Amino acid sequence: MLLFIKRAATSVLILFLTVSFLFVLVRIAPGDPSQKYLSPNLSPQLIEKVKSSFQLDKPISKQYISFLENAFSGDLGISYKYHRPVSEVISEVLPFTFFFSLSAFTIQFVGGLLLAFWAFHHHKKLLDKFLSSGSIFLYAVPSFVSGVFLIYLFSVQLKLFPSSGVKTVGSLEENFFLLAFDYLHHLFLPVVVLALTGLPVYFKYFRESFEENQQKLYTVYLRANGVSEKRIYLRHIIPNSLNSIIAYAGVDLGILFSGALITEVVFSLPGMGRLAVNAILGRDYPLIVGCTLTAGLLVILTNLIADLIRMKIDKRLVKGLLN
Amino acid sequence: MSITRKNIPLYFLLLISIFVGCKKESPLNSSQVVIAIPSDIEGLNPLFSFSINEANINELLFLSLVKHTWDEKAGDLKTEPMLAKSWEWNSDSSSITLDLRNDVQWSDGVPLTIDDVIFSFDVYSDPAVESYLYGSFIPFYTEKDNHIIAEKTFEKLSDTKLKIFFVSGSSPSLFNLDFPLVPKHVFDKIPRKEITTAKESFNPVTSGPFMFEKWEKNQAIIIKENPKSFLHKDGNIGRIIFKVIPDYKARLTQLKNGEVDLAEYLKPEDVDELKKSDAFIVSSLKGREYDYLGWNNLDKEKFKKNKDITPNKLFGSAKVRQALSLALNRNEVIGSYLRGYGELASSPISPIFKNSVNESLIPYTFDLEKAKALLAEEGWKDKDRNGILEKNGEEFKFTLTISSNNPRRIFAATLFKNTIKQLGVEMNIEQVELGMLIDKINTKSADAWMASWIIPIPLDLKFSWYSNLATTPMNFPSYQNKELDALLDQLETKISKQQKNELYKKIETILFRDQPVTFLYWIDNIIAYNKKIENVEVTPLGTVHHCWLWR
Repeated sequence: MLLFIKRAATSVLILFLTVSFLFVLVRIAPGDPSQKYLSPNLSPQLIEKVKSSFQLDKPISKQYISFLENAFSGDLGISYKYHRPVSEVISEVLPFTFFFSLSAFTIQFVGGLLLAFWAFHHHKKLLDKFLSSGSIFLYAVPSFVSGVFLIYLFSVQLKLFPSSGVKTVGSLEENFFLLAFDYLHHLFLPVVVLALTGLPVYFKYFRESFEENQQKLYTVYLRANGVSEKRIYLRHIIPNSLNSIIAYAGVDLGILFSGALITEVVFSLPGMGRLAVNAILGRDYPLIVGCTLTAGLLVILTNLIADLIRMKIDKRLVKGLLN
Repeated sequence: MSITRKNIPLYFLLLISIFVGCKKESPLNSSQVVIAIPSDIEGLNPLFSFSINEANINELLFLSLVKHTWDEKAGDLKTEPMLAKSWEWNSDSSSITLDLRNDVQWSDGVPLTIDDVIFSFDVYSDPAVESYLYGSFIPFYTEKDNHIIAEKTFEKLSDTKLKIFFVSGSSPSLFNLDFPLVPKHVFDKIPRKEITTAKESFNPVTSGPFMFEKWEKNQAIIIKENPKSFLHKDGNIGRIIFKVIPDYKARLTQLKNGEVDLAEYLKPEDVDELKKSDAFIVSSLKGREYDYLGWNNLDKEKFKKNKDITPNKLFGSAKVRQALSLALNRNEVIGSYLRGYGELASSPISPIFKNSVNESLIPYTFDLEKAKALLAEEGWKDKDRNGILEKNGEEFKFTLTISSNNPRRIFAATLFKNTIKQLGVEMNIEQVELGMLIDKINTKSADAWMASWIIPIPLDLKFSWYSNLATTPMNFPSYQNKELDALLDQLETKISKQQKNELYKKIETILFRDQPVTFLYWIDNIIAYNKKIENVEVTPLGTVHHCWLWR
């Protein structure tokens, strides 16, 4: 409980400082939301009117106070671009983002673990070397390259998967199963592309960790006592390896939740990444702050969950984390 | 059968075959068209049609009093009836009487009446609403805050006849009446300031030849034919899907794949491959957008300090600007980069305006010797022989700011940098994010920049060339010319079309002579669409235009 309170207090402070810093930063950075009204088809009077209704003609300090007053009552403002409450705009992309990120994360984590296990099983043999080199290659391939390649292969040539979107546009939702299949059919390639960027990292983490734990004295001791290899792996090496990896996974999942911009753009997906970047490019101040706040909350939350899992695995960590 | 390592590939294949087997038939059919758009719209209320895609969609969902088509022969707009069956101007064009149709209903069944028309003018011009037309009702009787005074402007002669009065001496046109009408019975209940966020702005009650079907956020906007519309014809397009595809490569792939039927702003390098296919018609929309090299005509430091308007030490002279205009080989950009999908520009008046354009002006051609001579005439000489020209102890050095995501401008800027070096002019290229570039241009803090203008139809020049910087924020180069101002003012008076065209030609001659910016080239908007769509007209008014005529 003490841990929770301490972590919560620190998290709220970090979030408050981040959002405050960002609030000022976006306003002093070049450009403002009225730029989009600079057009031959629009009157100069409109620009002035818009600036005034966005409160851009007021000092930043006054804008900030007004923002804090609203934020504490749960109102993050109205998005300049979407003309709707920021919370509503963000909540529309969150379900997709959660599903998309969690799917990719699960493949990365479980795939990385299984591949590392497989490679370690063939320690220093051809397969191990192949997987190690392959993981470096995969890590080096950016997602816009793998995305375009997979689209070319599976969508253009083989015509197995659609090249973009989350579902068949304009289709009628006939029944739940068809709709679910339609979603899965559309999301298969993007999830694979997103997972491919993280899979080599988890593979490497697990592989190195297995190696490290394998050489530790407790493993030698267990072996000397005649404990079976299977038991040593399942009961000792994997749990010990998991500890440091879960800490990384907590941060990684939080970042995934904040958006996978490139994959979202290549596959035209409605996720947090595209939303945040469009908000920045359009100088949609309330939405930028809203996206940052949401991303910050998610990173903090996933870290907290990661720490709780680590503590569950290893009770010794409770003291360490409290300090 | 248990899951064993050996048969994992089999399970994988099974999974794939389930996916493929469950792949639904594409919803594409002969009466449906899928149009690729690069970004989602912001709303479905015509009051806020700020982007071209919103304007295109709202034109299909909402009726206007009149519609405009492009008369290719005359190089001008042609007005045709829509809600107004006919109209009659009075002798001095200070009023117009409209005869409206009485057979139009909103999609919720309520009849569209004269009250909707008057309400539309009122709400569009209301400062509290901040519509895209706010401040544009120049020839109308308005309050100081630009809000139309309904009592002075409208007279209901009968249930279908409406008289509109204009300010005497103003120069109204039917284009002032061409905007999508909004339903009074829907928006009258909502406080004006809240219309922008009201749910009715996202789930619209419409009156046009198409009705709203569905908006899958960040994915697609779907509209379907309105069989009750007087514009409806059996056999025409029944459904249009505007599919959001932000990535250019993805748009192109889907076009080739048949997932999309129409895409715009294609790159010249992709045209040959598209033309090889029998499935597409590739066309180009000419004369709507030009690239230019902007010169800050003002001394930016003095302007920043006291808003002083004094000529820029480098670009304040017309001769220097002329010299720089001679120093870019624009034909090389048109040939190598645009692959012929562009033409030289000599002024902001597009060649599409056949009667207004001054055809006697021959665009500046690449001539470094002439450029050198002009710079020497202005006193720019390399006295210390360091390869850079000087005048009054100051070297000819400046920074050209461009947007980092535009390869065409990066290509042209690099070419320009290399050629003006031969003149003894040193130029740095600064690549910045688009928003930052706009900020620099807008605050007049850039030395020089490269950008483009999409020209308005009908032709309008005052918004960007009038000297008064307070009322003309889009005079980005801050060009000052009283003679030009007088001509621009004359254009707003009651004069004949022919007189207007003569004025345009004079204005063009002045801008050509002074080169406040270097007009580079008109860039074609390359469009490809599926041959199955008939009646598509690629005109300066756009391609996704009057789609109810598509078959």
